[in-house]
Amino acid sequence: MASYYCPTAILTDAQKAPTTFSLAVPALSHSPLNNNSGTPITPATTLDLPLWLAEMLAVSRPSGPASAPLATLDMPSALGPKVMNALTADATSVELRQQAQWFYGLGERMLELFEDEEMGAVLLNTFKKRALEIADKAQNTRTAQQGGDSGDFMSGLDETERQLFRAAHDGTHTVKRWFEATSRG
Amino acid sequence: MYAEQANKLVLDAKRIEKLPHLPPYAATTVRAVTKEVRDLDREVSNLLAPYNTGSTQSSDGTHIKSSGFNPADDPATACALLVNHLSMRRNKRCLLAYHRVRTDKLEEMCWSGVDVADLQAASRRSTLRSGNQSAATSSLSAEEEQYMHQYSDLLAAYKGQWTDIDLTGSLEPPRDIFIDVRVLQDVGEVQTEYGSITLTKNSQLNNVRQSDVERLIQQGYLQKLG
Repeated sequence: MASYYCPTAILTDAQKAPTTFSLAVPALSHSPLNNNSGTPITPATTLDLPLWLAEMLAVSRPSGPASAPLATLDMPSALGPKVMNALTADATSVELRQQAQWFYGLGERMLELFEDEEMGAVLLNTFKKRALEIADKAQNTRTAQQGGDSGDFMSGLDETERQLFRAAHDGTHTVKRWFEATSRG
Repeated sequence: MYAEQANKLVLDAKRIEKLPHLPPYAATTVRAVTKEVRDLDREVSNLLAPYNTGSTQSSDGTHIKSSGFNPADDPATACALLVNHLSMRRNKRCLLAYHRVRTDKLEEMCWSGVDVADLQAASRRSTLRSGNQSAATSSLSAEEEQYMHQYSDLLAAYKGQWTDIDLTGSLEPPRDIFIDVRVLQDVGEVQTEYGSITLTKNSQLNNVRQSDVERLIQQGYLQKLG
């Protein structure tokens, strides 16, 4: 229930993944799916489709359970081998926001469809390392404002990390204010 | 891509969650999304038309006595139907999420004691101030205003069961009996439990009882100092 109405879940699903059609669909050639161009959708056409569409196409088998699905889903470039290698090398230097705005959400959805333990382990590790960095930046606001290079890290955070940062920052702030308020009264 | 407008609605919804006030209802975008759903529905009916007539002719010319669509026979049409169906479901989900976020915000405002009539008066005042002489456009659609009216009535009925405590009051315990306030809006003379108070804009009142003015602070007529 929370996930159906939740705007974050909806926007996570709107992220794109490359999908290769395994059959020709002339009926969709003029649709916005194909950027309204007339190029026919043949068995080899690859399009970047949003997850809500791509997942269902990859799972449906119209000709019965033994036949091939309508389309095959590939890993989006945000979770490709290049990014994975960069994350194992140095998790805090990768700009997750450039890869995908809801990076961890995307990772969750892809892991639901593909059983990729290695990717799961890499993502978990990345999250831990980056969370440590976020907590540090949230607590010490003065150094974060003055430090010039920390701006790159902050702009590279994806949405979940931004929420984490805001929560940590607001929490410290509120406690400080409460201390001041009670010491006065 | 299908559901582009719907995506815009959801981005709006995400933004609204953080804002303190409610921005205007995106009527044009909502209309565009519903139009897209209707178009998709029409396309689905067109795709299924040859199958549902129950006639003796199928799409590839062979004679078929049965009616109804068998996905195994024509996976291409099945794919098109699936895409249209999913797009319709997606649009529906986005619409529902957008409206839900707005109604949640409205309910929150009702619980925090915002008066419905005040809200409309405030929006009218702000449009006049900005020099816009046309009819006052509220941030809410007609249905939302109706919703808010009925919800406040429901809330009032619920609160009426316990007269000695105010369920929509402030959750912060008072620190002093008397507080200082500044007047934000001109309301003239107000009757309180211990006498009357005259409120003129931008004046400051010292030593007013918190219990009297709490309601006025909540409604935005006064501002607490210190």
